[in-house]
Amino acid sequence: MNGILSRETLVKWAPLMVLLILVLFFTVLEPRFLSVRNLARISVSAAPALMVALGVTFIIIMGSIDLSMEGTVSVSAVIFAFAFLYLGGTLFGLAWLALPLAVLVGAVIGLINGIVHVKLRIPSFMASLAMGFVGTGLALLLTGGDRIRVEDEAFRGLLTERWLGFPIMVYVAIAFVLVGWFIQSRTTLGRNFYAVGGGEELAHASGLNVSKVRILGFMLAGMFYAVGALLAVARIGIAETATGNNFMFMSITSVVVGGTALWGGIGGVWNTLVGVLIVNVIGNGMVVIGLPGYVQDAVLGLLVIVAVVLSTDRKSISFVK
Amino acid sequence: MSFIKQYIEQEKLNRRNFLFASAAGLGGLAAGGMFGPGMARAAIADPTIAWSYRNRTNPYWNEIVSGGEAFVEGLGMSKDALVHLINEGSSEKSLADVKSLLARTNGELALAIDTNDAPNCRPIVEAVAAAGGYVSTIWNKTDDLHPWDFGDNYVSHMTWSDEKPAEETARILLNAMGGKGGVVHLGGIASNNPAIERLQGLKNALKDYPDVELLAAEPADWDTQKANQVMSGFLTRFGDEITGVHCANDTIAYGVIEALRAEGIEDMPIVSYDGNPQAVQLIAERKILATVFTNPHWGGGISASLAYHAATGAFKPSDEPNEHREFYGPTIMVTPEDAVEFKAKYLDNVPTYDWTDYWGPSNGQIQYK
Repeated sequence: MNGILSRETLVKWAPLMVLLILVLFFTVLEPRFLSVRNLARISVSAAPALMVALGVTFIIIMGSIDLSMEGTVSVSAVIFAFAFLYLGGTLFGLAWLALPLAVLVGAVIGLINGIVHVKLRIPSFMASLAMGFVGTGLALLLTGGDRIRVEDEAFRGLLTERWLGFPIMVYVAIAFVLVGWFIQSRTTLGRNFYAVGGGEELAHASGLNVSKVRILGFMLAGMFYAVGALLAVARIGIAETATGNNFMFMSITSVVVGGTALWGGIGGVWNTLVGVLIVNVIGNGMVVIGLPGYVQDAVLGLLVIVAVVLSTDRKSISFVK
Repeated sequence: MSFIKQYIEQEKLNRRNFLFASAAGLGGLAAGGMFGPGMARAAIADPTIAWSYRNRTNPYWNEIVSGGEAFVEGLGMSKDALVHLINEGSSEKSLADVKSLLARTNGELALAIDTNDAPNCRPIVEAVAAAGGYVSTIWNKTDDLHPWDFGDNYVSHMTWSDEKPAEETARILLNAMGGKGGVVHLGGIASNNPAIERLQGLKNALKDYPDVELLAAEPADWDTQKANQVMSGFLTRFGDEITGVHCANDTIAYGVIEALRAEGIEDMPIVSYDGNPQAVQLIAERKILATVFTNPHWGGGISASLAYHAATGAFKPSDEPNEHREFYGPTIMVTPEDAVEFKAKYLDNVPTYDWTDYWGPSNGQIQYK
């Protein structure tokens, strides 16, 4: 019993320890790594990915997977940019309406995603991958391959305005982490995610409408992807079909490295926060200490394996051979 | 839904063109017979014109295609008459598409193509030549493959040498830095030829500037967001030591500019490459000091034109010297002084090119190292 407890404790805190060790490692090699300005840089690069990773966390807790994030991010970003410019192009006018519109677009794509998955009984990985392609295609159709610049000073203030050394978008991201945490721990829906992921049969037998929970989960994830899209556009001032690039790898890696188990029921938003920070600390730290990019990919790959090994061991405890 | 309509429309046209082409081809064959056997083979009265390329998400390929369409319109056809073969980065798909189009058109094909990678060029060219079609290639070709080894059917190959222009932009950058300080380079995908050549251009220029240090060169994969993150890392690692940034292309420069803007740095000297409209705008605002325009619109049009006119017998490729079979495409330097003029001339109103001036803007015969 004691052994299991200590192992569980280890597994629970391992991601955070990895993060601290990484921070220590990079700081020893390059003290400037720990400067406020660099921490702000890491936060800026992490903020959009964090939103996307939060969204997919809920799906993974349910034991499903969502691979539609790249398409959803691109479509939300592009529609946001078109609407923003159409409505006057400044936050002080009507253009703020483009913000909720983008989130609505994310929700709709997520909803369709969930309905296709649940009602057509297509495995979530296939349904969401397909929806992702549809999204990327739609974004391309809307833009014709062009980039849309969003130059509004007020909107770009998310990046350029700083409080206590950190751009506003970082605080926005933190606010949404709290929203995610609230949903996870204080709402029925959040708890139902765990119920579905922990044992779908049991949840179903207990009278839970599993289909509804799944569809709502995908819809919620889509909304978080859209918030990620908004922050991504705020970060570089450009909305394009390529806005969604890399988010799939980044977010799933982050969720797994953070210790949320792929078979569901375990983990949550704090794990994801730590996971996203690990991935971004590595990305930034490698450049800061001067290691080439391909080493960075290799290290991330190894970390994913380590994370999965750790959590797989935890599961095998319940098996007796 | 308009793209579906467009596709169906295009297919209809293609079929119609195919019928016309077959009919005309027979006529041409009969007519050719009167002038001796040599003529008959080279004259396809109305070949199907096709462009095979990677994708439409990239502004570069959009420009290439717009040139191909402009050429087709110049012939008095609708621009939908141009057949698009999109390989999505797959050499297998590229070859399969070309082969099926050859079968469908009975070899009466004028094809312009980037074969996706160099090894794929030979099977494509061989397939086209075997079917009696005509092909012009750009960018990818192995060094041992030459148009003149295929008689008339492999019409031409055009590529761009980036080393020299990248060296020139580097000199503009190094001068703007006052010939001292530190420069960082953000490159393309490390194994891509243009990425290698553009970094080499910077290194060549640096030989004349002993007081400038190349602080780091890191791939940013032609990607704006990746470039943004790499530049953030550079700022931590080198801070104020960075006094200039050399970018392998425009999309990288956008990410760099935003990473600097986040830090409140507005006056960093930056140079880039490709001459995308947005970059030219930034040059006019002096946010970027130089970019290099390779005129993809002309490249797309002239490649289709070469294949087409060789197919119709308007000129005979094998009578042309080697520098008309393998040549470098144009490069135009854009700087703040001429950005507005450049934009007006090339971007706001796309110039009307004489598509029978095949080699006017080209840049000399390809040299192999």
